[in-house]
Amino acid sequence: MTATSGARIHLENLTKIYPGSTGPAVDNVNLEVRAGETVIFVGPSGCGKSTTLKMINRLIEPTSGRIRIGDEDVTDMDPVRLRRKIGYAIQASGLFPHMTVAQNIALVPKMIGWSRARVGSRVEEMLDLVGLDPGEFHGRYPRQLSGGQQQRVGVARALAADPPVLLMDEPFGAVDPITRDHLQDELIRLQHELHKTICFVTHDFDEAIKLGDRIAVLRERSHIAQFDTPEAILTNPTDDFVSGFVGAGAALKRLNLTRVRDVGVVDFPTAGVDDPLQDIFDTLRSGATNELLLLDRNRRPYKWLRRGDLSRAKGSLARAGTLVTDTVTRDATLRDALEAVLTDNAGRVAVTGRRGEYTGVVDVETLMNNVHELLEADRLEALAHQHDLQEQRERETRLAQEGLDTGEGGPGGRA
Amino acid sequence: MSFWEYVGTRHAQLLTDTYQHASVVFQCMVLATVLGVLIGVVTYGSEWAGGLATTSTATVLTIPSLALIGLLIPVVGLGVPPTVIALTLYGLLPVVRNAIVGLRGVDPALVDAAKGIGMSRTARLVRVELPLAWPPILTGIRVATQMLMGIAAIAAFASGPGLGNEIFRGIASLGSANSLNQVLAGTVGIVILALLFDAAYVLIGRLTISRGIRA
Amino acid sequence: MTSGPGGSGGASGGRKVDGLAHLDDADMAERETAAGEAPVRAPAPGARRISWQKWTFMPVFLVAALLATWLWFRGARLDSIAHQAVDNGKVWLALRQHIQLTAVSTFFVLIIAIPLGIALTRARLRRATPVAMAVANLGQAIPALGLLVLLVIWLGIGARSAIVGMVIYAVLPVLANTIAGLRGIDPTLTEAARGIGMSPTGVLRKVELPLAVPLILAGVRTALVLNVGTATLATFGGGGGLGDLISAGIITQRMPVLILGSVLTVALALLVEWLASLAELLLRPRGLEGTS
Repeated sequence: MTATSGARIHLENLTKIYPGSTGPAVDNVNLEVRAGETVIFVGPSGCGKSTTLKMINRLIEPTSGRIRIGDEDVTDMDPVRLRRKIGYAIQASGLFPHMTVAQNIALVPKMIGWSRARVGSRVEEMLDLVGLDPGEFHGRYPRQLSGGQQQRVGVARALAADPPVLLMDEPFGAVDPITRDHLQDELIRLQHELHKTICFVTHDFDEAIKLGDRIAVLRERSHIAQFDTPEAILTNPTDDFVSGFVGAGAALKRLNLTRVRDVGVVDFPTAGVDDPLQDIFDTLRSGATNELLLLDRNRRPYKWLRRGDLSRAKGSLARAGTLVTDTVTRDATLRDALEAVLTDNAGRVAVTGRRGEYTGVVDVETLMNNVHELLEADRLEALAHQHDLQEQRERETRLAQEGLDTGEGGPGGRA
Repeated sequence: MSFWEYVGTRHAQLLTDTYQHASVVFQCMVLATVLGVLIGVVTYGSEWAGGLATTSTATVLTIPSLALIGLLIPVVGLGVPPTVIALTLYGLLPVVRNAIVGLRGVDPALVDAAKGIGMSRTARLVRVELPLAWPPILTGIRVATQMLMGIAAIAAFASGPGLGNEIFRGIASLGSANSLNQVLAGTVGIVILALLFDAAYVLIGRLTISRGIRA
Repeated sequence: MTSGPGGSGGASGGRKVDGLAHLDDADMAERETAAGEAPVRAPAPGARRISWQKWTFMPVFLVAALLATWLWFRGARLDSIAHQAVDNGKVWLALRQHIQLTAVSTFFVLIIAIPLGIALTRARLRRATPVAMAVANLGQAIPALGLLVLLVIWLGIGARSAIVGMVIYAVLPVLANTIAGLRGIDPTLTEAARGIGMSPTGVLRKVELPLAVPLILAGVRTALVLNVGTATLATFGGGGGLGDLISAGIITQRMPVLILGSVLTVALALLVEWLASLAELLLRPRGLEGTS
């Protein structure tokens, strides 16, 4: 797939004052989103995070300030043309109920004048990308889909014209927690492949940590309380507002920040269900380990098989071993992995690829070691960061005392 | 003469009246639909204009049709003109009201989504809002048509076309042997037409309402 | 203007009440109106003035229109034929007959349709409800004129046939609205009422009927508006009413008579509708103001 990767977004002094209201709804926001980065706007309801997002595609026209995407100032561009270059996904999918899944996805490509054939193949490609079988879902109407499926189609529609920028306004707000978890994993995988610039609004801080490269914690009027990596926000919140928002259990949340692919996924002896029994016996008896993972015909983890299981089951593979109850993907967080390891009495969990095929195994020791290292590293980093901040503050105070301009200043200056 | 004998001997006249009745109702309904949807589209966005459109069309509907026709005769004379004007005016209300209600009932999130993916004002209206508002509009058209069937009968009193003439011929010869047959033929004809139109609307609904939003 | 807030009769709006297929839309319209006219119902101080203007517009308009017609009519030159149609208190007679026809037929419509609607929503008869709805729907296809004249042929010329026809014609929509409204009552409410130990009569008397008051008021309005309209057709069966003036005007080609009859009919219809909306607003129980 050839995909346009992300473009830089730059908001300068962006302000929105609704007519008839006294104060601004969004007050002088300065923020830069790097190309290919996922930035999460998180904050309490009514803090103006959605308004800020909607000013990027000018669904809400800013009262003042500039918006730049890539190298282009889009503040005065024709909004309709602008929006065709920006993907937009919203809560409860926003799919048009009177159009089929395919028609919904094809909308933007058609509007920008793609040929019929190209639109057709793009629709199939997008459905495949978001993990829906094109043959099955192509002709369905939105109401014939589950909430999670609708949301996938919503993302497919947003990405259909291959825009460099994707805006997501609480897209997973209306689905159940389990589905939301899956959708988040999917989004991470997608972003891994596509490298779009994503601005994502949520009020769920855990979602923000899981998805964001950087997080902008917003307070009322979209004032940026902190704009930093999830690690930094977790370990070193700037003030009480941010730490209040981070909530309890920061150390556990830290586990959400690291993915299985970042820790040691190790190989494990495997065998297929169709392998001759004798081979399986030999592997078990000769190998360094006394256990192996039995894979089904699609190479998906099927059963854990220990030495002795086979003989106890009188040589029948169907009866021997314990079924694999839980697997994780390479994109799963350490928290998910730990959870799976703790529930599976084998003390390890199988890691699978996109179609559920086996890729390796993570065990409990690897996980624990990693967690210790992570926390230790964070602690050191936070200390260093605090030191930097203190120095910077001293320098600013000194400059201010000397009556000089402190430079960028302002809440947005941190960016 | 039995009813069937009457229908047998007068079938040419009856067919002409039936055709004219259907034709005038159909044409006025097309006019009312176009005007009604147009009024709905123009006014639904404004609280004030939408309210005005709904209340004024509702007020027209409160006016007894015979009185409205009576007021039109001094202005446009007898015959087809007062019939067409009255039928179109009466047909307007259900269409206008349902168009406004339907257009306002479109989920704002969907309009937002349409804007967000870069649809122009016209594209939003034609591809999202009107298709979603179509089922209530069609219901409005259906209700209006049934109503016009009856009003068209009354319009025959002002020399309008259609099956109403059959009924008024019956009234004129009240007491004669054929009077019942004439009134019955006119009334039954109108009922049959109303049911046929209704069936046609069901069919139109099936053909024009997307399967994704059909109840 | 005064289609008035509430406008449950709005399913009606008028002449021929919209069919059942339409009820959901009427509900939608209802909510829409409720939202749109929220200031009227809210006890906000600023809102009072708006509703004041709203409610006085129609009577002022009617008085002005009637006055203008009267002045014009007095100035118009009438020949003997026209005189014959309006002299000797014929105008007042027609007006009185029209009001009588409307009042009597509305009374019968209500005492038939509302109890029948309640009965048809009780558990024992509930299976008959769809049948009743289908009949009501089918009834919409019958032209009022045809129905009235057939009754005249059957029962003879006079006001009696007209009233019977008007009652038959208006019962169906009012019945349909009553059934739809009673079925529309939130089932959790009736369940709650049964749950705290109310008898079926208790549930009906203390919960369902109070909740259905707005609906019954809407039924009254629907019946009134329909009957004012249908009463103009009574003239074709010798039933009298303002239709006499209109038809005399058309047949004799005397425009003053035609216009006088038409203006009076229009004014009466608008006045009745206005009074009915006013009654609906005033009699609607507090606490149900936002509902229909």
